[in-house]
Amino acid sequence: MKLNIYELFGENCMTKQAGQKLYEKIHPVLHSGEAVELDFADVKRFLSVFFNFAIGQLFRDMSAEEFERSVIFFNLNPVGRQTLQQVIENAKRYYANPEYREAVDTMVTEQSLCL
Amino acid sequence: MRSTIHVPKPFTCDIPTVNDGADYGKLFSLWQKVQKYQPSTVIFEFSRCHFLRQNAVAFLGGMARQIQHNGGQVDFAWHTLQDDIHMNLQQNSFYATMEGKTGGWKGNSIPCREDPENDPASISNYLEGRWLGPDWVDVADDIKHEIICTVQEIYSNAFEHGESSIGVVSCGQHYPNRQRLELTVVDFGVGIPFRVREFLNKPQKPVKQALEWAFMPGTSTRPGNIPGGIGLDTLKRFLQEKQGRMTVYSGGSHAVITRSHQRFSDAPVHFHGTLMNISIKSDISCYT
Repeated sequence: MKLNIYELFGENCMTKQAGQKLYEKIHPVLHSGEAVELDFADVKRFLSVFFNFAIGQLFRDMSAEEFERSVIFFNLNPVGRQTLQQVIENAKRYYANPEYREAVDTMVTEQSLCL
Repeated sequence: MRSTIHVPKPFTCDIPTVNDGADYGKLFSLWQKVQKYQPSTVIFEFSRCHFLRQNAVAFLGGMARQIQHNGGQVDFAWHTLQDDIHMNLQQNSFYATMEGKTGGWKGNSIPCREDPENDPASISNYLEGRWLGPDWVDVADDIKHEIICTVQEIYSNAFEHGESSIGVVSCGQHYPNRQRLELTVVDFGVGIPFRVREFLNKPQKPVKQALEWAFMPGTSTRPGNIPGGIGLDTLKRFLQEKQGRMTVYSGGSHAVITRSHQRFSDAPVHFHGTLMNISIKSDISCYT
């Protein structure tokens, strides 16, 4: 399946609603074993919330290898590439280690006590 | 039998000179006083005010809207303003916005802006066309988009987590002599520490630790098993790399983030909502 993101959302991919809509389009396709191609030509602006909802939550039930094999991105501008990369790395960590946020809390507390 | 209707006396709010640093405390103290008189008529009086930065303009706008939201009335004693401040408030549209008129914007001022609801496209256009300006930070489109998207994470966070009944108010200013561009975004919601304490189920967690937690990469109070926690970390790293600076007051906590350090502490004066002020260099050599 190939999707033109500009046709779906215009030049701004900046809301969780848009991200969730994209997730709901691609998740069943990926679940059936088909690949998806996402074309971001003419999309100018991105916020992390969009990619967290659209792409980040795919890692809930998908391995990194499956993701790399079956989700293909085209024409992402530099800010889009950078934001997406951060979201992907974060999502892998998030689902691999559910205790991460608690661990950060412990670290912040300990650092604070050392000051 | 005669009944009497209690009409609360108007409260006169003396707006002080507001610069930077400790002056944030003056703003928050004012808000604490005003809250005691709610709902009532609040008169903003400026005869002791000799300077207002964009942080004060945004905060006053937010105060006015919150008072109105709570059922009170706001009267601006415009005639008490010094001429130069009056001109500045006309230039940055604050006067027109508060009086429900149109107009404003010229010089180094950047319009004061109200966003009762999240409208990312409109906010992007404001940041690109009015805040970065046509030539104040004259960089390539890719860099411009990086700046806009990074800064817009502030708005995105405020709307997703802030629970502010008035949305957000923002105001910017260009300081050509210092080659600096500043932006203040304020909401009158629940504050970051409240959300973090609630999320971690640690109601006694010190507010400065809660704020620091929120700025760590990958931490988010977003519910529903969906990852988050990129936005504030990205903003922080961007400002550090580009010689920027960020000041945050939220729910009684305070943070200052610069290129060389970040410091989280208790705020001297409590403000329940969130105020973020960022400063970036308008010297384009920082971005090449």
